[in-house]
Amino acid sequence: MTHSIDGAPRAPGEVLLSAEDLVIGFSLRGRKLTAVRRASLTLRAGETLAVVGESGSGKSVLAKSLLGMLDRNGRIESGRVMYRGVDLAGFKTEREWLTVRGGRVAMVFQDPMTALNPLKTVGEQIREAAALHRGLDKAASRALALEMLGRVGISEPGRRYAQFPHEFSGGMRQRAVIAAAIACGPEILICDEPTTALDVTIQAQILDLIKGLQRDLGMSVLFITHDLGVVAKMADRIAVMYAGQVVEEGLSRELFYDPRHPYTWALLASLPQLGVKGEELFAIKGTPPSLFKEIRGDAFAPRNPMALKVDFEREPPFFDISPTHRAKTWLLDPRAPAMEPPDTVKRLKARIAGAARAAGVAAEAPAAGAAEAPAAVPEGPKPKARRARAKNGKESER
Amino acid sequence: MMTVSRRPGAALAPASATTAGPASPESVDPALFVPAAFDAAEAERSGYARYSYWRSTLRTFLKSKVAVALIAAMLFLTAFSFLYPLLSRVDPNAVSLDTSLWNRRPGAGAGPFGTDGLGRDMWARTWYGARTSLSLGFIIAFIDVGLGMLAGALWGYVRRLDRFMTELYNVVTNIPQTVVLILLSYILRPGFWTIVIALCSTGWLSIARFVRNKVITIRDAEYNVASRCLGTPLSRVIGRNVLPHLVSVVIMEAALTIPYSIGSEVFLGFIGLGLPLDTVSLGNLVNLGRNNFLLYPYQLAWPTAVLAAITVSFYIVGNKFADASDPRNHV
Amino acid sequence: MSAEPILSVEGLRVRFGSGRKAFEAVRGVSFELYRGETLSLVGESGSGKTTIGRAIMRVHPAAAGSVRYRGREIAGKVGAEEERLLRQKIQMIFQDPMASLNERAKIDYIVSEGLYNFKLFKDEKERLAKVEKALLEVGLLPEFASRFPHEFSGGQRQRIGIARALAMEPEILIADEPISALDVSIRAQVINLLNRLKRDRGLSYLFIAHDLSVVRFISDRIAVIHLGRLVELAPAEKLFERPMHPYTKALLSAVPVPDPDEERDKRLVVYDPASHRYEAGAEPAWREASPGHFVLANEAELRDWTTGS
Repeated sequence: MTHSIDGAPRAPGEVLLSAEDLVIGFSLRGRKLTAVRRASLTLRAGETLAVVGESGSGKSVLAKSLLGMLDRNGRIESGRVMYRGVDLAGFKTEREWLTVRGGRVAMVFQDPMTALNPLKTVGEQIREAAALHRGLDKAASRALALEMLGRVGISEPGRRYAQFPHEFSGGMRQRAVIAAAIACGPEILICDEPTTALDVTIQAQILDLIKGLQRDLGMSVLFITHDLGVVAKMADRIAVMYAGQVVEEGLSRELFYDPRHPYTWALLASLPQLGVKGEELFAIKGTPPSLFKEIRGDAFAPRNPMALKVDFEREPPFFDISPTHRAKTWLLDPRAPAMEPPDTVKRLKARIAGAARAAGVAAEAPAAGAAEAPAAVPEGPKPKARRARAKNGKESER
Repeated sequence: MMTVSRRPGAALAPASATTAGPASPESVDPALFVPAAFDAAEAERSGYARYSYWRSTLRTFLKSKVAVALIAAMLFLTAFSFLYPLLSRVDPNAVSLDTSLWNRRPGAGAGPFGTDGLGRDMWARTWYGARTSLSLGFIIAFIDVGLGMLAGALWGYVRRLDRFMTELYNVVTNIPQTVVLILLSYILRPGFWTIVIALCSTGWLSIARFVRNKVITIRDAEYNVASRCLGTPLSRVIGRNVLPHLVSVVIMEAALTIPYSIGSEVFLGFIGLGLPLDTVSLGNLVNLGRNNFLLYPYQLAWPTAVLAAITVSFYIVGNKFADASDPRNHV
Repeated sequence: MSAEPILSVEGLRVRFGSGRKAFEAVRGVSFELYRGETLSLVGESGSGKTTIGRAIMRVHPAAAGSVRYRGREIAGKVGAEEERLLRQKIQMIFQDPMASLNERAKIDYIVSEGLYNFKLFKDEKERLAKVEKALLEVGLLPEFASRFPHEFSGGQRQRIGIARALAMEPEILIADEPISALDVSIRAQVINLLNRLKRDRGLSYLFIAHDLSVVRFISDRIAVIHLGRLVELAPAEKLFERPMHPYTKALLSAVPVPDPDEERDKRLVVYDPASHRYEAGAEPAWREASPGHFVLANEAELRDWTTGS
């Protein structure tokens, strides 16, 4: 049974994709691993949602399940994935998935080396995607592929079209993969750690590219990563995952400047970028729990120096901090004792308060805050600068 | 509240704390809202699933019913071949002067496999023959794999050897095996050890090549670089860093060399360069049986059946083991 | 920090391949490592940073140039006694905790591998004591010695690698991207450990990394390397406050900062190698622009960069 899904564009802010209470399990070496334990996400039109977590948090598994790309031994055990009124979790056949994959929801993976077919030219791979999902003939799809190559910042698209993936550098390959993804004209772009394998300077360019494309094409982006710096750059909203659950979610500013979950605190506090020389970094003890076993209470409790007794007994529900910000911790229960976040987190908060004050005082660059603030570009950040755009003409790539 | 829809056909997930959902705040005892003692040592306890490579290999191997059946067959055949001569008093070489006992079909008075043209008991001959052929196979496998493993490890690890060894390999493997076998059998009169020497002389090189390819993939792995940084001598690097990673490869190669050796022995017998006719081996039995095939097919059929059973079971078990020992299949 | 460098590298060149296919990964690198400091070497892939570390460890032969440990030349052939000393005094920790330990060996053997190589113990008791001491120092339990690497997490494995290096009682530790393969919440553990060891044992670190923002926290001085050549070397804070070379600036602007407001205002600077004008007569050289702050520039650039921003 194929579902014909309506294609009417949604107004910005409207919910586009909603994963509800997903439980995803894998059978591994005779045992069952529950990689996602009731996680919910909502993606709205025109926004970038970042899902942050470490390895084992379930973020990649969650992303793959949205497109039916789980490994053979994995299954959605319960929950729904609602996209335009259709429950994607109920799809069983490849045919059903093809109504959504590519044309509606496209995915960019981590490793550009293996995402492209080494035996076909890059241009042909993009053209194929365009032809399949937009129903174009050979000439039209080729023209579109060339346009896409140009759009993702690959110079001399005509020459590059006929080249093979091994003739591209890592960053260019990832650009080509992105080109193939957007050639299908998707509404949602899922990026699973697309820049982790790339050099820092290339990463910055790719991230700028994705941001630009999102704006120009009106897409929504679901961005999976473990790097909080990348999150700060890309995300409108953030969901933090730990041990298969979303533990905190909210707007980007809310999460960085007013985090409430001890794990988010620990993540921010342990960043070397925010460390103060001479002091020890805040280090989270121990390792994430084994997802083969049942977890009782809050999964983060054994590693949480601020854990309450109830954390070991009962799983906390979500508590709302604001209409857009909620966290899954018993610390937000009115009966819980007040806990102070680590110093690093407090410093981040103070910086904003400082910046807000300074912005009201002078029209110069915003206050750099405490001495340890990482310096920005020497030109000095302008108070109301537009978002950066990569200079496409001058790349330092081969 | 929430409607949980299940995938059609999916089994119900067992009710557990992981999927039961969060507690509602009202239901929680207020007394629990006090800080818990933080045990850093408990936090160090790693929550890792214990993964044992060999245990997983065994599990994966045993999952295949074919593998289990054949390894049972393999063990049975080998055991029987070696035990029968010890337990039975029938002489496989006992010629009978009573012509009525010659070429007797299997059945009453003539043993399960019948008798051959000189009244010798085929059942005994088959199992004695299997013992000889298997011994041949085991010895050749042992030498070939032992030499090949060592040579391959050095070849792969020491860069300077590569050029020489590759040339040697190219030259030697381009000479048809058959020609080498025939030549050596002519020079060193036919016998058990002749065949061993003939087959080992070239066999180790193929195994060495296979091992060398594997070694090259791990030669520059970080743990080997670390050993070099620590000044570990080559012998210990080969012994402790390289060879232990080759065990599964080696077992597989050994399992595959055995049927190959037995087959070669049969072939040599065909062309008259096999074991002396007074030695009972499956090759000789097959050859003798060949002559009488039209009249007394059982004299060829039974030895061939046992030969085939041995060959096939070793071969398939070897391949199944190779699959099972690949960590990517450990799911 | 004392005035005498414990390690000095001069004009180091490392080549791969030979003849026509020769590729020079390191093209004349010079720097000094002082006792008790952490010098970070930062570059992207293909910059040659890992190769420099391996050349100092004498795993790669140096094609030209010199490496001096305490004034004595160690690049090229050295005697057996010298080799023995070097293997002890200069140790390395590696990037990938999953690949840097021998899966088929027990932790006991892994940590004492170096001790076995040079017979650095009188008897079995002493060896076990050294293993135990090394494990405790990195925060692991002595009972782990009888286990295998696959039983441990990435962070613990990295600490085993550090224990392996510590067992040799080195003076210099070359850390080749020791935290990039670790989870973000584990990195802090390892960084704290490295800092503590440096303090307690008076070690000197050559820290190889690709992430500038991470090295700021741990480094005393930072060197930036691009395509086999150092482009800038300065004390950590100075590099961040007053970067000179355009590549350094590009690298700084590219590193994402975990602060949304700052990220949104940041403008990406892209490095264009063609922006240099290095014709004959205007070749760049390694110059000291201000005390302790070195940069690869020709005379014109040096003038621009020191007077400008």
